[in-house]
Amino acid sequence: MDDVSRSEQEVIAVRGLVKTFGRTRALDGLDLSVRAGEVHGFLGPNGAGKSTTIRILLGLLRRDAGEVRLFDGDPWSQAADLHRRLAYVPGDVTLWPNLSGGEVIDLFLRMRGARPDHPWRGELLERFQLDPTKKGRAYSKGNRQKVALVAALAAPADLLILDEPTSGLDPLMEEVFADCIAQRRAEGTTVLLSSHILSEVERLADRVTIIRDGRAVETGSLAQMRHLHRSQVRAEVAGEVPDLSGVPGVHDLSVEGSVVTCTVEPEGLSAVLTALTGAGVRTLTSAPPSLEQLFLDAYRGEPVP
Amino acid sequence: MTGVGLLTRFALRRSRVLVLAWAVVLTSLCYASAAATDGLYPTSADRVSAAESVNASSALVALYGPIVDVHSLGELAMTKTTVTYAVLVMALVIALVRRHTRVEEESGRAELLGGLAVDPRAPLVSAIAVGAVVSVLVAGLAAAGDVAGGLPVVGSLWFAGSWLGIGLVGTGIGAVTAQVSADARTCGAVAAGVVAALFGLRALGDTTSAGWLAWLSPFGWSTRLHAWSGPRGWVLLLDLALALALAVAALALRAHRDLGGGLLADRPGAATGPRRLADVIALNLEVHATTLAVWTVACALLGALMAAIVPGVGSLFDSDRARELMERLGGVGAVQETLVAALVSVGAVVITCFVATVVGHAGAEEQDGRTEEVLATATTRSRAFAAIAVVALGGAAWLLLVTGSAMALGSLGTQVSAAGVLGAALVQIPAVWVVAALALLAVAVRSGWGIAGWVLVVGFFVLGPLAELLRLPGWVAGLSPYSHVPKVPAQPLHALPEVLLTLLATLLVLAAWWRYRERDIG
Repeated sequence: MDDVSRSEQEVIAVRGLVKTFGRTRALDGLDLSVRAGEVHGFLGPNGAGKSTTIRILLGLLRRDAGEVRLFDGDPWSQAADLHRRLAYVPGDVTLWPNLSGGEVIDLFLRMRGARPDHPWRGELLERFQLDPTKKGRAYSKGNRQKVALVAALAAPADLLILDEPTSGLDPLMEEVFADCIAQRRAEGTTVLLSSHILSEVERLADRVTIIRDGRAVETGSLAQMRHLHRSQVRAEVAGEVPDLSGVPGVHDLSVEGSVVTCTVEPEGLSAVLTALTGAGVRTLTSAPPSLEQLFLDAYRGEPVP
Repeated sequence: MTGVGLLTRFALRRSRVLVLAWAVVLTSLCYASAAATDGLYPTSADRVSAAESVNASSALVALYGPIVDVHSLGELAMTKTTVTYAVLVMALVIALVRRHTRVEEESGRAELLGGLAVDPRAPLVSAIAVGAVVSVLVAGLAAAGDVAGGLPVVGSLWFAGSWLGIGLVGTGIGAVTAQVSADARTCGAVAAGVVAALFGLRALGDTTSAGWLAWLSPFGWSTRLHAWSGPRGWVLLLDLALALALAVAALALRAHRDLGGGLLADRPGAATGPRRLADVIALNLEVHATTLAVWTVACALLGALMAAIVPGVGSLFDSDRARELMERLGGVGAVQETLVAALVSVGAVVITCFVATVVGHAGAEEQDGRTEEVLATATTRSRAFAAIAVVALGGAAWLLLVTGSAMALGSLGTQVSAAGVLGAALVQIPAVWVVAALALLAVAVRSGWGIAGWVLVVGFFVLGPLAELLRLPGWVAGLSPYSHVPKVPAQPLHALPEVLLTLLATLLVLAAWWRYRERDIG
C-alpha cells in the first residue's frame, strides 16, 4: 500500500506550461508529471524546450501561463526552500576559474544545506576518477561535468534534476553514471533525466516524456509505448518472398533475395506472420522498437530541417 | 598566415565600443589640455614660471616627468599627457591583447578556432595587429586633438609619435605577459606590475642623479624624444625595436606552450572547500579576493603619492588664472587643500572602476551560467544580489578609506590637516555609491548590461570638462554625482548633498534588488 500511495504522489506536476522569449514560444502548453521514486526520462531534440522547462522548475525563469508544482510547492516563490530537497546538474557546467573542483563540490553541497563530509563524496571521486585539486579552468568539459555530478550525488536528495548530464563523459564514465542513478533510484530518489541519448534513458527511465516544439507529444512507460508502436521484423523464407506491401500496418518494406525486412504495427503482425509462414520461414527475428525508433516516430511528420 | 586578417577584423569589431570609448576620453584629454593652457598661462613668462615650478617639484616630476623646454607651450600643455596619461594608452592595448589571447583561451573559445583552418599563431598575431592598429588610431586622434586645441602641427605629430611608441610597446608587453599564466587575471596582474615598474624606473631616473634609469623605460623615452623643440626622431626607434623584440618573444613563448597552458604551472588547489566558503556572499568575496587585494595596495600607493604631491604645489599656481582654475576645481580655500579635494575626486573616479569590474563580472557570471548553478541551490535571489552589492559598495567604501588613510598618513607634519584629508576621501563614498547603484540597477535589469559600470564611470568623468568646453548649461555637469560632493577640506562639510546622495544610492539599490528578484535568470 505504501508503494502505491508513494507512486501516485507527483513530485513534479506541470500542466499547460507556456513560456515565450520575445516572439519565440519556447514552451507551448507543456504537460509533465514525475511521480515520486521514478526515473523520468525527458526526451527531445535541441531547442525542444527541455532546458527551459527545467529552468522554470528551478525558479530561474518565470512562467507565462500554466501550472507548475514542485514537491507541491511553487518553484518561483519558494525556490530556495525547495532547492534544499534537490540537486541539479546543468547541461553545460561552468566553474570558477580559480576555485578547485573539490572547493566547488563542497561549496555546492553547503549551499544546498547538505554536509560535505558524507562518505559518498570520496566514493564518487574515486568512481568518476576525478582529481579534486585541479582549478576550474584546468578541467576538460567532461571533468567539469563530473564535478557537477559529484556535487549533486555526494549527499542524499529527494530529487535529482539532470539536464543532459552525460554530455562530455566517455562511455566508461557513462557506465558509472548509470550505476549511480540506479543505486539512487533503489534508495527512493526521484530523478528527472533530460537527454537525447536514447539508450541511456531506455536503460534508466521508468517512464518517458517526449517533447517537441515545447509540447509533450508522448508520455508513458516504455511498455505502454511499445504497445503503441511497431515491431521490427526480419525474416528469411524458403520459398518465394510473399508480397507484404498490401498488408495493412506494414512499413519500410525491403526485400533482398530471400530476406525480407519491415516494420509492422501491432494490428498487422498476425497477417505478416501468416504470409511468412505460408512461404516457409527459415529464420525470423522480431525486435521491440528501440527508443530510437519511438523517438523517430514522435518526430515523424516534422519538416526536415 | 591563415586567419590573421579575419581574426583581426573580428577582434576589432568585438572591441569597438571599448576602443572608441577610450579613444574619445584620451582625445578629449589632449584637446582639453591643449585648449586650456593658452588661457591659463597667457604670457611667455607665465609659462616659464609654471614649467620651472613643475621641474622644481620632485613629486610632480615623478608623476608627470620633466619639462625639457620651459619655453614651449606644447610641452607645458602636454605635461600630464606625455607620461602620465600615456599609461592609459598602454593599459588600453594591454587589455585588448589580453582580451583577444589569454581570455579567449581561458574561456575555451580559442579551442573552437583551433579546429578551424586557422594557423595556431594567428590569434596572437592578430591580437598584436589589433594593438598596433589601435595605437595608430589613438595616436592619430591625439595629434588631431592637440592641433584642434591650438598647438603646433609638427610638435603635435611628434607627441603623437610618443603615444604610438607607448602603444606599440604596450602591445608587446600585453603579448608576452599573456603567455605567462593560464589565468587571465594573473596575466593582467603581471602586466600591471611591469607597467608600474617601468613607470617607477622613469620616476627614479627623472628625480635622482641616476638619470640613466629613465633610459631603461619607454616612459622615459617619451620626454627624451623632445617632441616640441628639436625632436630626436631616433628615440622612437627604441620604442619600435622594443615592441618588435617583445612581439617576437611572445611568438616564441607561444610556440613552446600548449593552447590554454601557461609558463607558470597551475598550482593545485585544495581538495576540499574551507568551511567559510558556504554561501554566495563568501563565494563572491573569494572570487574578488585577489582583485581587492591588488586594488588595496594600489590605493595605498596612490594615496601616498598624492600626499607627496601636495606640499610641492604652492609655487606652481602663482599666476592668478591658475589659482582661479584651482579654485574652480576645489572651491574657495587654501591651494593645497583645494588640491587635496581635486586629487581625491580623481581618486574616487578611479575607485569606481573597481565597482565597474565587480558589476561587469556579475553580468558575465550570469551569462556564463554560474549564477544559475548558484541559484539552483538553497540560495535566494536576495542573497545572490546582496553578494554583488556587498563587494561593489563595500569594496568602494573600503578603497576610499584606504586611499584617505594613506594620504592622511602622508600629510602628517604638513600644513594640511590629516583629519581633513581623510574626510575628503570619505565624503566621496556616497557619490561612488550612486554610480555603483546605477551599475547594479543596469545589471539587475539585464545581465548583458554589465558594461554599464564602465560607461557610467567614463561618462561622468568626461561630463564635467565636456560641459565646460561646450558651454552647456550647469545642470548637465550636475548630472554627475561626483559634482555634488562637498570639496572637503577646502570647503566645510555640507551634510545635505551627502545625505541626498546616500538616499539616492539606497533607492537605486532597492530598485535593483526588486528587479533582480523578479526577472528571468540567464
